[in-house]
Amino acid sequence: MPTEQEIFEKVRTTLVDALNVDDDEVKLQSRLRGDLNAESIDFLDIVFRLEKQFGVKIPREELFPESIFQGDPNFVTDGKVNEGGLKELQERMPFADLSDFRKDPRLEKMEDLFTVELIVNYLKKKLGG
Amino acid sequence: MLLKDQVALVTGGSRGIGKAIVQALAREGAKVAFVYRGSQQAAEELEKEITAAGGTTKAWQADVSDPEAAKRVVGGVMADWGRVDILVNNAGVIRDGLFIRMDPENWKTVLNTNLDGTFYFCRAVAEQMALRQRSGRIINVSSVAADHVNAGQTNYAASKGAVNAFTRALAVELGSRSVTVNAVAPGFIETDMSEAVRNKAGDFIAKKLVPLRRLGKPEDIAGVVVFLAGPAGAYVTGQVITVDGGLSLGAVTA
Ligand SMILES: NC(=O)c1ccc[n+]([C@@H]2O[C@H](COP(=O)([O-])OP(=O)(O)OC[C@H]3O[C@@H](n4cnc5c(N)ncnc54)[C@H](OP(=O)(O)O)[C@@H]3O)[C@@H](O)[C@H]2O)c1
Repeated sequence: MPTEQEIFEKVRTTLVDALNVDDDEVKLQSRLRGDLNAESIDFLDIVFRLEKQFGVKIPREELFPESIFQGDPNFVTDGKVNEGGLKELQERMPFADLSDFRKDPRLEKMEDLFTVELIVNYLKKKLGG
Repeated sequence: MLLKDQVALVTGGSRGIGKAIVQALAREGAKVAFVYRGSQQAAEELEKEITAAGGTTKAWQADVSDPEAAKRVVGGVMADWGRVDILVNNAGVIRDGLFIRMDPENWKTVLNTNLDGTFYFCRAVAEQMALRQRSGRIINVSSVAADHVNAGQTNYAASKGAVNAFTRALAVELGSRSVTVNAVAPGFIETDMSEAVRNKAGDFIAKKLVPLRRLGKPEDIAGVVVFLAGPAGAYVTGQVITVDGGLSLGAVTA
């Protein structure tokens, strides 16, 4: 099993290729959209490249469940992800750290969950079996 | 040769405009796979002609309106040649008839072939072009009928108008991966498809409605497809290029 540092380095290479950013822009805490300017097609590209880089299959919606709350009143109240939504999110993304998001669970803040660290944590779980 | 060693896939390549496109791409050095539905003999003859001239080609029998067909054909082209640089969605049909009496089957056939077929083939190459290759050219053969309509063509006009809108929308999505998506809109071109209209009004159209005073030939369309597929077309995307001798200018010669 690769070390966390090895995983990070490969993820960084992937992001440099997919997003056309410089090596030193990619830090563990970088947000894909907010800091690295990823657009929607970039998320597909990242998944595609990670699969090749790590030789794993990443099912659609597993790493970046973007469509998870679209228009679902069970999960969102007044533009905020409610308790049910948070529970669902944690189940769908057991590799995500939701503690910051819980403090300000506005729907549009959800994309801030998509950080470099999230990808590394996801792959750690995935490769660890 | 503008397209040396590139891989092209053309639907509806056995006859008419598609055949001229296959020939033109092959002449520019591309390996050309093409799809036909029923005209096996015409397809085999075209294969022989191109091979004899030193080109590389392969005919695939498929119905573009079948959702599985595109996957099968694109999979085959990938297995043969490993990439797809150029996709030309040319296969198309008409089922003309006044709307009041239009059989829903004729609506469906036209939409399923002209629009859905284009969708299936674009879908089948998009990941390969955008994510694996990060380059590609998609060219959809539309029609001036999308905007300049004749009676009896509600189904056809709807299909081609949709192809134009789809072309623009897809161009926006794939632009960041250096895949261009354009349409070519022919006017009256001398093929089997336009035969009935030509027999009725060909002379009138050529002499009175077309500023260039002649009907178009399949080669007139193929030339623009080569432009869009080649280096000169690199910075063109999301456009519908009309190739109609000026027909759509709407002038009537006095
Ligand atoms: N001719 C014109 O004046 C004109 C004007 C504007 C736009 N266009 C457009 O240009 C394109 C080509 O037209 P054309 O005049 O060359 O037509 P055409 O002479 O009738 O040839 C049509 C070609 O498409 C193929 N095809 C038709 N339906 C198919 C299907 N379901 N699956 C696979 N292949 C299929 C045919 O294959 P088979 O030979 O096996 O039947 C043939 O190779 C069409 O999209 C048409 O709408 C033509």
